[in-house]
Amino acid sequence: MSETAVVEDKQQVAPPEERQAARILKWTSENGIFIFTAVLIVFALIFVDGFSSLINITDVFHRAAPIGIVAVGMTFVVISGNYLDLSVVAQVATAGVILIAVSNSYGIPLAILAALAAASLFALVNGTAVGVFKANAVIVTLSTTFIGLGLLRFFSGGSIFFGPPDGPIRAFGLGKIGPVPYSAVVLIIMTILLSLLLNRTNFGFLVKSFGVNEQATRLGGTNTSLVIIGAFLVTSVAAMVGGFVLAAFSNTAVSNDGVGYEFEALAAIIVGGTSVFGGRGSIYRTFLGVIFVSVLTNILVLFGIGFGYQQVALGVLIVLAVSIDALGRKVSKR
Amino acid sequence: MGSTGSGGAPPLIEAEHIVKRFGGAIAVDDVSLGVQAGEIHAVVGENGAGKSTLMRVLAGILDPDEGEVRVDGQVLARGTRSAIDAGIALVHQELSLVPEMTVAENILLGAFPTKAGFTEYKELKQIAADALEEIGVSVDLDERVKRLSVALRQFVEIARAVARKPRVLILDEPTATLTPAETDYLLAMLERLAAGGMAIAYISHRIPEVFRICTNVTILRDGKQVLTTPIADITPEQVVDQMVGRELKRDLATHRDAEPGEVVLRAEGIIAPGVNDVDLQVRAGEIVGLGGLVGAGRSELVRAIIGADNRSAGKVALTVGGKVSMLSTYQSSVRNGVAYVPEERRTDGLALTMTVTDNIRLPNRKQLSKAGFMLGGKIKEVAQQLADKVGLRPPEITREAGQYSGGNQQKIVLAKWLGRRPDFIVLDEPTRGVDVGAKAEIHRLVKGIADQGTAVLVVSSDLPELLELSDVIHVMRDGRITGTLGRADANEKSVMSLASGESEVKA
Repeated sequence: MSETAVVEDKQQVAPPEERQAARILKWTSENGIFIFTAVLIVFALIFVDGFSSLINITDVFHRAAPIGIVAVGMTFVVISGNYLDLSVVAQVATAGVILIAVSNSYGIPLAILAALAAASLFALVNGTAVGVFKANAVIVTLSTTFIGLGLLRFFSGGSIFFGPPDGPIRAFGLGKIGPVPYSAVVLIIMTILLSLLLNRTNFGFLVKSFGVNEQATRLGGTNTSLVIIGAFLVTSVAAMVGGFVLAAFSNTAVSNDGVGYEFEALAAIIVGGTSVFGGRGSIYRTFLGVIFVSVLTNILVLFGIGFGYQQVALGVLIVLAVSIDALGRKVSKR
Repeated sequence: MGSTGSGGAPPLIEAEHIVKRFGGAIAVDDVSLGVQAGEIHAVVGENGAGKSTLMRVLAGILDPDEGEVRVDGQVLARGTRSAIDAGIALVHQELSLVPEMTVAENILLGAFPTKAGFTEYKELKQIAADALEEIGVSVDLDERVKRLSVALRQFVEIARAVARKPRVLILDEPTATLTPAETDYLLAMLERLAAGGMAIAYISHRIPEVFRICTNVTILRDGKQVLTTPIADITPEQVVDQMVGRELKRDLATHRDAEPGEVVLRAEGIIAPGVNDVDLQVRAGEIVGLGGLVGAGRSELVRAIIGADNRSAGKVALTVGGKVSMLSTYQSSVRNGVAYVPEERRTDGLALTMTVTDNIRLPNRKQLSKAGFMLGGKIKEVAQQLADKVGLRPPEITREAGQYSGGNQQKIVLAKWLGRRPDFIVLDEPTRGVDVGAKAEIHRLVKGIADQGTAVLVVSSDLPELLELSDVIHVMRDGRITGTLGRADANEKSVMSLASGESEVKA
């Protein structure tokens, strides 16, 4: 410490050993993901047969891309302190059905416009309920999941939509650069764009600021309702892109697509060290979180471990990561 | 210091040389007092004098750092439980009822009569009914508390204390939220309870009440016991004198030679929760002070004026350079040149885990960005300038705001608003919890802001501060401005007597 060390309020400062513990926990939750991901990949390369094959790596990317795109978008809602957007499930499915069904009849540009309209509607409903009426985000988005999926099933009749076998959607879905599929390239571009949006713009700043202290942000002269609607809009647009990528890969769409995405995206975000209490987080680390979760799942698959156990692993991972986050906060508060 | 009651009988409850510290601050400093059965003992003092802390020590909620509490001459063991067992009951300042539960349930909260683990509702209602009868209040036992008026809730709170059949009853400003008629009723009730043999300790800001019902009075100032005396031996005026101290002379050298300009802020007919039809004007370069007791409606008034809270009626006009803007929402206020330093700087003023730079960025972000993209170099420059201007120490703008002391945190709040060069600034308790040195610096800053032509409105419960800063002081009581004092006639006594209603004793 320099000579100009501050005189701190005695009531608020924890003893040195507790501050040390808080620092370690905070560091782990913020930077651990780099180490964990590296260790996991090295482990897989050395000990897991078939992990390093090109086919497998492409497959990991294919799985990771749509979830990752959803996750980097949803990071905005988490950083704003509103936990998560469960309705990404409905949004991914809606995007897939719109892409295939609408482009079959009206062409791709109109399909994109329709998907953007749907995303805006989701964001407006979620964002208004949470940002303006101060409703709980978990309950609001759980409800809009039901509304969205219900409407989707009504309009689609529950049928599966197939794209033309040789159209541009198919070409995009299967295209790749080396072992890296186009979908993963989209994920990387989204990660860069959203990271700029979070770290370099007033909007991103306000999302973080709201997550740290809603009252101070409002009293700084901010329309906080718009900030929250904006955070949901970023999430919804990303979910639509994720839905497109998913549908393009299989060239089919059905209202069940995207089941479990809310949970896997949340796992990636939290493992990436974004705090569920809001205010702290990073898009790049969410990206790493997605890689971590996808590689872990892939390892389990290659070891022949069943889907049930994969779910267990994911659940355990989230509980661990959330506990470290909460513990770090508790210790630093004391 | 002596702690004798008026008569010869030994006190029922005694506090002996109580000292209580919070961190480095000393809240209660060597206070002793005793209350006999049948006595109503008033504890008075300014905000922050240590009254509530002392009462919480008596009730066993806080453990004293030094000294002891005795009941019937026996030293009371630490902890709330032993205080309850000894028959001490505290009626809190903040209402502590559960709104969703019924009156009967609230009265017996934490002491439900049970049989084999099941609640005995019949017995519960009987005990609750007895308690209400004892204090002479009739209210439906099955009504949910949230449907009751604030006054009735206050009475339920008292019934809750009385239901435990206490020998010592402690009340912390029970009349703060009551109307005069309700207050009369409550005072009569306390006299009845005392006549029945209860020892009552009574905190109040309202001097007339003290003279109506109390037998003895203890005056606290800055945590120290100034005086304990039978009420017959002192006048209301002397009580106020002792509360504020004798240093009534002010250092006139620090006064600004203000030449107030045009009226910048004009608020008319402001009505809001806690505010009852207030008009207010602030001129360019003028510092207007709002004095009064906690709960008088000062914070509510300023928040209603700038739109931070909704108002139900009233107009607010801001005139800058001949251009008039009507302020409705808080955002429109800020856009038009209003700055607000809130009372709660840790929860409302700052984002504690963000850096100084980011806290300064918040209200200034539009000037520090281009097409929504933040300009990295410019913000650093501006933030550093502002941090230097307010004398932040150390002036490290990349530190988190929460790492600074209270005084420096308040400087950060000032810095973030100074970046906007406000035309009208509201400061609510600008130096609460701030050490003496930082306090003087903040006072200098506030005067400097006014000297540059900004209209300044200051709310302060700190009388010397209010007197030092203000060109004009409006004193509020019960949501209204009850008096306006210019520099010539403003002093601690005149403010306190308007704030507490002391002048009404003589009337």
